[in-house]
Amino acid sequence: MQEFTWPGRTAETELASDLEKAALRREFEQRLEECGTLAFRVARGVLRNAADAEDVAQEAILRSYRRFARLRDHSRFRAWLVRISFRLALDHGRSARRREQRETAWATDLPTPTAEDIAASNEFGRRLQEAMAALSEKSRLVLLLTSMDGHSLEEVAEILRLPVGTVKSRLHSARKQLAEKLR
Amino acid sequence: MTCDKYDNALLLAAASNGELDAKLARHLERCSTCRMTLRSERELLSRIDSALRAQVNEDPRPGFMAQLRLQLSKELTARPGSDRVWHVAGAALALVLIAMFYPLVNARRSSAQGDLQKPTIKVPQRAGVTQSARAIEDLGVRSRHHSKRPAVQSAVPQEPEVLVPPDEQKAFAQFVACVARRDTIAQAVVTPAANKIVNMTTELPRVSSVDIADLQLGRARQKEWIDQTGISE
Repeated sequence: MQEFTWPGRTAETELASDLEKAALRREFEQRLEECGTLAFRVARGVLRNAADAEDVAQEAILRSYRRFARLRDHSRFRAWLVRISFRLALDHGRSARRREQRETAWATDLPTPTAEDIAASNEFGRRLQEAMAALSEKSRLVLLLTSMDGHSLEEVAEILRLPVGTVKSRLHSARKQLAEKLR
Repeated sequence: MTCDKYDNALLLAAASNGELDAKLARHLERCSTCRMTLRSERELLSRIDSALRAQVNEDPRPGFMAQLRLQLSKELTARPGSDRVWHVAGAALALVLIAMFYPLVNARRSSAQGDLQKPTIKVPQRAGVTQSARAIEDLGVRSRHHSKRPAVQSAVPQEPEVLVPPDEQKAFAQFVACVARRDTIAQAVVTPAANKIVNMTTELPRVSSVDIADLQLGRARQKEWIDQTGISE
Protein backbone atom coordinates (compact mmCIF):
# COMPACT_ATOMS: atom_id res chain seq x y z
CA MET A 1 0.00 0.00 0.00
CA GLN A 2 1.31 3.42 -0.92
CA GLU A 3 2.12 5.56 2.08
CA PHE A 4 -0.02 8.64 2.59
CA THR A 5 1.68 11.97 1.98
CA TRP A 6 0.30 15.43 2.54
CA PRO A 7 -0.17 17.61 -0.51
CA GLY A 8 2.89 19.74 -1.14
CA ARG A 9 5.21 17.35 0.67
CA THR A 10 7.73 15.87 -1.65
CA ALA A 11 10.23 13.10 -1.06
CA GLU A 12 12.93 15.76 -0.59
CA THR A 13 11.06 17.57 2.17
CA GLU A 14 10.30 14.22 3.84
CA LEU A 15 13.96 13.31 3.68
CA ALA A 16 15.04 16.68 5.06
CA SER A 17 12.54 16.34 7.86
CA ASP A 18 13.78 12.83 8.68
CA LEU A 19 17.39 14.00 8.70
CA GLU A 20 16.52 16.88 10.98
CA LYS A 21 14.71 14.53 13.36
CA ALA A 22 17.65 12.13 13.37
CA ALA A 23 20.06 14.98 14.15
CA LEU A 24 17.84 16.18 16.99
CA ARG A 25 17.62 12.68 18.39
CA ARG A 26 21.40 12.26 18.31
CA GLU A 27 21.81 15.59 20.09
CA PHE A 28 19.24 14.59 22.68
CA GLU A 29 20.88 11.21 23.31
CA GLN A 30 24.21 12.92 23.88
CA ARG A 31 22.64 14.85 26.71
CA LEU A 32 20.63 11.96 28.04
CA GLU A 33 23.25 10.31 30.27
CA GLU A 34 23.91 13.45 32.25
CA CYS A 35 20.37 14.80 32.14
CA GLY A 36 18.70 11.52 33.07
CA THR A 37 20.53 11.53 36.38
CA LEU A 38 19.85 15.24 36.87
CA ALA A 39 16.10 14.74 36.35
CA PHE A 40 16.11 11.82 38.76
CA ARG A 41 17.96 13.79 41.43
CA VAL A 42 15.67 16.79 41.20
CA ALA A 43 12.66 14.50 41.53
CA ARG A 44 14.29 12.57 44.36
CA GLY A 45 14.86 15.82 46.23
CA VAL A 46 11.13 16.44 46.21
CA LEU A 47 9.76 12.92 46.57
CA ARG A 48 10.15 10.46 49.38
CA ASN A 49 11.09 7.35 47.47
CA ALA A 50 13.34 6.48 44.56
CA ALA A 51 10.72 4.58 42.58
CA ASP A 52 8.45 7.62 42.35
CA ALA A 53 11.44 9.77 41.44
CA GLU A 54 12.31 7.39 38.61
CA ASP A 55 8.78 7.58 37.23
CA VAL A 56 8.84 11.35 37.37
CA ALA A 57 12.29 11.56 35.81
CA GLN A 58 11.21 9.28 32.97
CA GLU A 59 8.14 11.37 32.31
CA ALA A 60 10.22 14.56 32.41
CA ILE A 61 12.73 13.15 29.93
CA LEU A 62 10.00 12.00 27.55
CA ARG A 63 8.28 15.38 27.70
CA SER A 64 11.51 17.22 27.10
CA TYR A 65 12.26 14.91 24.16
CA ARG A 66 8.86 15.64 22.61
CA ARG A 67 9.48 19.37 22.86
CA PHE A 68 13.20 19.35 22.20
CA ALA A 69 12.79 20.53 18.61
CA ARG A 70 10.87 23.57 19.83
CA LEU A 71 13.60 24.62 22.26
CA ARG A 72 15.36 27.51 20.54
CA ASP A 73 18.47 27.64 22.69
CA HIS A 74 19.64 24.09 23.25
CA SER A 75 22.22 25.25 25.76
CA ARG A 76 19.26 25.99 28.05
CA PHE A 77 18.27 22.34 28.04
CA ARG A 78 19.52 21.55 31.55
CA ALA A 79 17.63 24.45 33.11
CA TRP A 80 14.56 23.48 31.16
CA LEU A 81 14.75 19.85 32.26
CA VAL A 82 15.28 20.87 35.87
CA ARG A 83 12.14 22.96 35.80
CA ILE A 84 10.07 20.22 34.13
CA SER A 85 11.31 17.60 36.61
CA PHE A 86 10.73 19.84 39.61
CA ARG A 87 7.21 20.74 38.58
CA LEU A 88 6.29 17.15 37.75
CA ALA A 89 7.72 15.97 41.06
CA LEU A 90 5.68 18.55 42.96
CA ASP A 91 2.52 17.47 41.13
CA HIS A 92 3.33 13.83 41.74
CA GLY A 93 3.95 14.52 45.43
CA ARG A 94 0.62 16.29 45.79
CA SER A 95 -1.34 13.53 44.08
CA ALA A 96 0.55 10.87 46.08
CA ARG A 97 -0.40 12.62 49.31
CA ARG A 98 -4.04 12.71 48.25
CA ARG A 99 -3.93 9.03 47.29
CA GLU A 100 -2.30 8.18 50.58
CA GLN A 101 -5.01 10.01 52.49
CA ARG A 102 -7.71 8.14 50.58
CA GLU A 103 -6.06 4.78 51.08
CA THR A 104 -5.40 5.21 54.78
CA ALA A 105 -8.98 6.27 55.27
CA TRP A 106 -10.33 3.13 53.62
CA ALA A 107 -7.69 0.45 53.99
CA THR A 108 -8.04 -2.10 56.77
CA ASP A 109 -4.73 -3.89 56.20
CA LEU A 110 -1.86 -1.52 55.66
CA PRO A 111 1.02 -2.84 53.49
CA THR A 112 4.18 -3.96 55.24
CA PRO A 113 6.66 -1.06 55.21
CA THR A 114 9.73 -1.55 53.06
CA ALA A 115 13.28 -0.73 54.16
CA GLU A 116 12.99 2.53 52.28
CA ASP A 117 9.81 3.43 54.13
CA ILE A 118 11.46 2.65 57.43
CA ALA A 119 14.38 4.90 56.51
CA ALA A 120 11.99 7.65 55.45
CA SER A 121 10.09 7.31 58.65
CA ASN A 122 13.21 8.30 60.51
CA GLU A 123 12.17 11.15 62.75
CA PHE A 124 14.68 13.67 61.50
CA GLY A 125 14.07 12.73 57.90
CA ARG A 126 10.32 13.09 58.36
CA ARG A 127 10.64 16.49 59.98
CA LEU A 128 13.06 17.60 57.29
CA GLN A 129 10.58 16.57 54.60
CA GLU A 130 7.84 18.53 56.32
CA ALA A 131 10.04 21.56 56.69
CA MET A 132 11.06 21.32 53.03
CA ALA A 133 7.42 21.10 51.95
CA ALA A 134 6.68 24.29 53.85
CA LEU A 135 9.30 26.23 51.88
CA SER A 136 8.36 28.28 48.86
CA GLU A 137 8.97 26.56 45.53
CA LYS A 138 11.68 29.05 44.57
CA SER A 139 13.62 28.50 47.79
CA ARG A 140 13.14 24.77 47.60
CA LEU A 141 14.52 24.53 44.08
CA VAL A 142 17.56 26.60 45.01
CA LEU A 143 18.17 24.42 48.06
CA LEU A 144 17.91 21.21 46.04
CA LEU A 145 20.18 22.38 43.25
CA THR A 146 22.83 23.73 45.58
CA SER A 147 22.77 20.45 47.52
CA MET A 148 23.56 18.48 44.38
CA ASP A 149 27.17 17.48 43.82
CA GLY A 150 29.01 19.65 41.36
CA HIS A 151 26.57 22.54 41.43
CA SER A 152 28.20 25.75 42.53
CA LEU A 153 26.19 28.87 43.29
CA GLU A 154 27.22 30.27 39.91
CA GLU A 155 25.98 27.19 38.09
CA VAL A 156 22.70 27.23 39.95
CA ALA A 157 22.34 30.91 39.10
CA GLU A 158 23.00 30.08 35.45
CA ILE A 159 20.47 27.23 35.45
CA LEU A 160 17.79 29.36 37.09
CA ARG A 161 18.77 32.49 35.17
CA LEU A 162 19.08 34.46 38.38
CA PRO A 163 21.79 36.73 39.74
CA VAL A 164 24.21 34.93 42.09
CA GLY A 165 23.20 37.30 44.89
CA THR A 166 19.57 36.28 44.59
CA VAL A 167 20.48 32.60 44.68
CA LYS A 168 22.64 33.20 47.74
CA SER A 169 19.94 35.09 49.62
CA ARG A 170 17.30 32.46 48.77
CA LEU A 171 19.62 29.73 49.94
CA HIS A 172 20.38 31.42 53.25
CA SER A 173 16.74 32.17 53.82
CA ALA A 174 15.75 28.55 53.10
CA ARG A 175 18.42 27.15 55.39
CA LYS A 176 17.39 29.53 58.15
CA GLN A 177 13.75 28.49 57.82
CA LEU A 178 14.71 24.81 57.96
CA ALA A 179 16.85 25.33 61.02
CA GLU A 180 14.05 27.20 62.77
CA LYS A 181 11.67 24.32 62.17
CA LEU A 182 14.11 21.56 63.07
CA ARG A 183 15.55 23.03 66.29
CA MET B 1 18.08 38.47 78.53
CA THR B 2 20.60 40.60 76.66
CA CYS B 3 21.54 37.77 74.19
CA ASP B 4 17.99 37.47 72.81
CA LYS B 5 18.61 40.18 70.24
CA TYR B 6 21.42 38.06 68.73
CA ASP B 7 19.22 35.02 68.11
CA ASN B 8 18.33 35.93 64.60
CA ALA B 9 21.82 37.12 63.78
CA LEU B 10 23.27 33.85 65.06
CA LEU B 11 20.93 31.77 62.99
CA LEU B 12 21.61 33.86 59.91
CA ALA B 13 25.33 33.58 60.52
CA ALA B 14 25.07 29.81 60.79
CA ALA B 15 22.85 29.58 57.70
CA SER B 16 25.07 31.79 55.56
CA ASN B 17 28.34 30.07 56.51
CA GLY B 18 30.01 33.39 55.94
CA GLU B 19 32.10 35.81 57.94
CA LEU B 20 30.53 37.06 61.13
CA ASP B 21 29.31 40.57 61.57
CA ALA B 22 31.85 42.65 63.56
CA LYS B 23 29.36 43.47 66.28
CA LEU B 24 28.28 39.82 66.62
CA ALA B 25 31.90 38.68 66.60
CA ARG B 26 32.71 41.05 69.47
CA HIS B 27 29.71 39.73 71.39
CA LEU B 28 30.71 36.12 70.80
CA GLU B 29 34.18 36.80 72.21
CA ARG B 30 32.51 37.73 75.47
CA CYS B 31 29.45 35.42 75.53
CA SER B 32 29.98 31.68 75.85
CA THR B 33 26.20 30.97 75.65
CA CYS B 34 25.95 32.54 72.22
CA ARG B 35 29.07 30.68 71.10
CA MET B 36 27.33 27.46 72.14
CA THR B 37 24.15 28.51 70.34
CA LEU B 38 26.09 29.28 67.16
CA ARG B 39 27.84 25.94 67.35
CA SER B 40 24.56 24.04 67.80
CA GLU B 41 22.96 25.96 64.94
CA ARG B 42 25.88 25.07 62.71
CA GLU B 43 25.63 21.43 63.72
CA LEU B 44 21.93 21.41 62.95
CA LEU B 45 22.50 22.99 59.56
CA SER B 46 25.29 20.58 58.83
CA ARG B 47 22.91 17.71 59.63
CA ILE B 48 20.30 19.22 57.37
CA ASP B 49 22.86 19.61 54.59
CA SER B 50 24.06 16.04 54.85
CA ALA B 51 20.51 14.70 54.89
CA LEU B 52 19.66 16.79 51.85
CA ARG B 53 22.83 15.78 50.03
CA ALA B 54 22.19 12.11 50.76
CA GLN B 55 18.71 12.42 49.35
CA VAL B 56 19.52 14.58 46.34
CA ASN B 57 22.72 12.88 45.24
CA GLU B 58 21.26 9.42 45.19
CA ASP B 59 21.85 7.68 41.87
CA PRO B 60 19.05 5.98 40.02
CA ARG B 61 19.15 2.19 39.96
CA PRO B 62 21.39 0.71 37.22
CA GLY B 63 18.57 -0.30 34.90
CA PHE B 64 17.03 3.17 34.86
CA MET B 65 18.95 4.56 31.90
CA ALA B 66 18.36 1.42 29.83
CA GLN B 67 14.64 1.66 30.58
CA LEU B 68 14.68 5.32 29.62
CA ARG B 69 16.33 4.56 26.26
CA LEU B 70 13.75 1.87 25.60
CA GLN B 71 10.94 4.30 26.31
CA LEU B 72 12.55 6.86 24.01
CA SER B 73 12.83 4.41 21.14
CA LYS B 74 9.18 3.44 21.64
CA GLU B 75 8.34 7.11 21.54
CA LEU B 76 10.29 7.55 18.33
CA THR B 77 8.47 4.73 16.55
CA ALA B 78 5.09 5.81 17.86
CA ARG B 79 5.40 9.49 17.14
CA PRO B 80 5.10 9.68 13.33
CA GLY B 81 1.86 7.72 13.42
CA SER B 82 0.45 9.74 16.24
CA ASP B 83 1.50 12.92 14.42
CA ARG B 84 -0.44 11.82 11.38
CA VAL B 85 -3.47 10.94 13.43
CA TRP B 86 -3.40 14.40 14.97
CA HIS B 87 -3.00 16.03 11.57
CA VAL B 88 -5.98 14.15 10.18
CA ALA B 89 -8.03 14.87 13.29
CA GLY B 90 -7.10 18.56 13.04
CA ALA B 91 -8.08 18.73 9.38
CA ALA B 92 -11.41 17.02 10.11
CA LEU B 93 -12.09 19.42 12.97
CA ALA B 94 -11.28 22.39 10.73
CA LEU B 95 -13.71 21.12 8.08
CA VAL B 96 -16.46 20.66 10.65
CA LEU B 97 -15.89 24.15 11.99
CA ILE B 98 -15.97 25.64 8.49
CA ALA B 99 -19.20 23.77 7.72
CA MET B 100 -20.71 25.06 10.94
CA PHE B 101 -19.69 28.68 10.67
CA TYR B 102 -19.73 29.32 6.91
CA PRO B 103 -23.54 29.82 6.66
CA LEU B 104 -23.43 32.15 9.63
CA VAL B 105 -20.64 34.24 8.15
CA ASN B 106 -22.29 34.25 4.75
CA ALA B 107 -25.60 35.41 6.20
CA ARG B 108 -23.84 38.19 8.06
CA ARG B 109 -22.04 39.29 4.92
CA SER B 110 -25.21 39.36 2.86
CA SER B 111 -27.05 41.29 5.56
CA ALA B 112 -24.17 43.76 5.65
CA GLN B 113 -24.44 44.18 1.87
CA GLY B 114 -28.19 44.61 2.24
CA ASP B 115 -27.62 47.43 4.69
CA LEU B 116 -25.40 49.17 2.19
CA GLN B 117 -27.97 48.95 -0.61
CA LYS B 118 -30.82 50.50 1.36
CA PRO B 119 -33.35 51.77 0.67
CA THR B 120 -34.80 48.87 -1.31
CA ILE B 121 -38.31 47.53 -1.68
CA LYS B 122 -38.60 43.81 -1.40
CA VAL B 123 -41.14 42.10 -3.62
CA PRO B 124 -42.29 38.93 -1.92
CA GLN B 125 -43.24 36.06 -4.20
CA ARG B 126 -46.90 35.31 -3.62
CA ALA B 127 -48.86 32.80 -5.59
CA GLY B 128 -51.99 33.99 -7.34
CA VAL B 129 -51.21 37.66 -7.28
CA THR B 130 -50.24 39.63 -10.36
CA GLN B 131 -46.91 41.37 -10.46
CA SER B 132 -48.48 44.81 -10.71
CA ALA B 133 -50.79 44.16 -7.78
CA ARG B 134 -47.85 42.95 -5.71
CA ALA B 135 -45.87 46.02 -6.61
CA ILE B 136 -48.72 48.29 -5.63
CA GLU B 137 -49.34 46.45 -2.40
CA ASP B 138 -45.69 46.47 -1.47
CA LEU B 139 -45.38 50.11 -2.18
CA GLY B 140 -48.45 50.65 -0.06
CA VAL B 141 -49.80 53.46 -2.19
CA ARG B 142 -53.55 53.67 -2.08
CA SER B 143 -55.60 55.29 -4.73
CA ARG B 144 -59.31 55.59 -5.50
CA HIS B 145 -59.11 52.73 -8.00
CA HIS B 146 -57.06 50.63 -5.70
CA SER B 147 -59.75 50.68 -3.02
CA LYS B 148 -62.24 49.45 -5.60
CA ARG B 149 -60.46 46.16 -6.16
CA PRO B 150 -61.98 43.78 -3.62
CA ALA B 151 -60.71 40.57 -5.23
CA VAL B 152 -57.09 41.65 -5.30
CA GLN B 153 -57.25 43.23 -1.87
CA SER B 154 -58.60 40.09 -0.30
CA ALA B 155 -55.72 38.07 -1.78
CA VAL B 156 -53.00 40.46 -0.66
CA PRO B 157 -52.48 41.11 3.02
CA GLN B 158 -52.05 44.67 4.17
CA GLU B 159 -48.38 45.71 4.16
CA PRO B 160 -46.83 48.68 5.89
CA GLU B 161 -46.92 51.76 3.71
CA VAL B 162 -43.87 53.04 1.94
CA LEU B 163 -43.77 56.77 1.54
CA VAL B 164 -43.22 58.14 -1.94
CA PRO B 165 -41.22 61.37 -2.25
CA PRO B 166 -43.56 64.38 -2.71
CA ASP B 167 -42.30 65.27 -6.18
CA GLU B 168 -43.03 61.73 -7.42
CA GLN B 169 -46.40 61.27 -5.78
CA LYS B 170 -48.44 62.60 -8.67
CA ALA B 171 -46.68 60.50 -11.28
CA PHE B 172 -46.89 57.48 -9.06
CA ALA B 173 -50.58 57.96 -8.45
CA GLN B 174 -51.12 58.04 -12.23
CA PHE B 175 -49.13 54.85 -12.59
CA VAL B 176 -51.10 53.16 -9.84
CA ALA B 177 -54.37 54.29 -11.38
CA CYS B 178 -53.32 52.95 -14.75
CA VAL B 179 -52.34 49.59 -13.31
CA ALA B 180 -55.48 49.41 -11.24
CA ARG B 181 -57.63 50.13 -14.29
CA ARG B 182 -55.95 47.31 -16.17
CA ASP B 183 -56.51 45.02 -13.20
CA THR B 184 -60.18 45.96 -13.10
CA ILE B 185 -60.53 45.14 -16.76
CA ALA B 186 -58.68 41.87 -16.30
CA GLN B 187 -60.87 41.05 -13.34
CA ALA B 188 -64.01 41.73 -15.33
CA VAL B 189 -62.82 39.47 -18.16
CA VAL B 190 -61.79 36.61 -15.88
CA THR B 191 -64.75 36.69 -13.48
CA PRO B 192 -67.78 34.78 -14.82
CA ALA B 193 -70.79 37.08 -14.84
CA ALA B 194 -73.87 34.84 -14.50
CA ASN B 195 -76.48 37.47 -13.97
CA LYS B 196 -74.80 40.03 -16.08
CA ILE B 197 -75.58 40.54 -19.75
CA VAL B 198 -72.73 41.89 -21.72
CA ASN B 199 -73.62 43.65 -24.92
CA MET B 200 -71.08 42.53 -27.41
CA THR B 201 -71.03 44.10 -30.83
CA THR B 202 -69.59 42.39 -33.82
CA GLU B 203 -69.01 45.66 -35.58
CA LEU B 204 -65.43 46.57 -36.34
CA PRO B 205 -64.28 50.03 -35.40
CA ARG B 206 -64.74 52.45 -38.21
CA VAL B 207 -61.75 54.35 -39.44
CA SER B 208 -62.12 57.35 -41.66
CA SER B 209 -60.22 57.31 -44.97
CA VAL B 210 -56.69 58.51 -44.91
CA ASP B 211 -55.47 60.87 -47.59
CA ILE B 212 -51.83 60.64 -48.45
CA ALA B 213 -50.59 63.82 -50.03
CA ASP B 214 -47.42 64.33 -52.04
CA LEU B 215 -44.44 65.73 -50.33
CA GLN B 216 -44.55 69.44 -50.88
CA LEU B 217 -41.06 70.80 -51.22
CA GLY B 218 -39.64 73.85 -52.82
CA ARG B 219 -37.59 73.54 -55.98
CA ALA B 220 -34.28 74.23 -54.35
CA ARG B 221 -35.04 71.98 -51.32
CA GLN B 222 -36.22 69.19 -53.67
CA LYS B 223 -32.95 69.35 -55.61
CA GLU B 224 -30.96 69.25 -52.44
CA TRP B 225 -32.93 66.24 -51.23
CA ILE B 226 -32.34 64.42 -54.51
CA ASP B 227 -28.62 65.13 -54.27
CA GLN B 228 -28.49 63.74 -50.74
CA THR B 229 -30.52 60.57 -51.33
CA GLY B 230 -29.43 59.94 -54.91
CA ILE B 231 -33.02 59.29 -56.06
CA SER B 232 -34.04 60.76 -59.39
CA GLU B 233 -37.59 61.48 -60.40
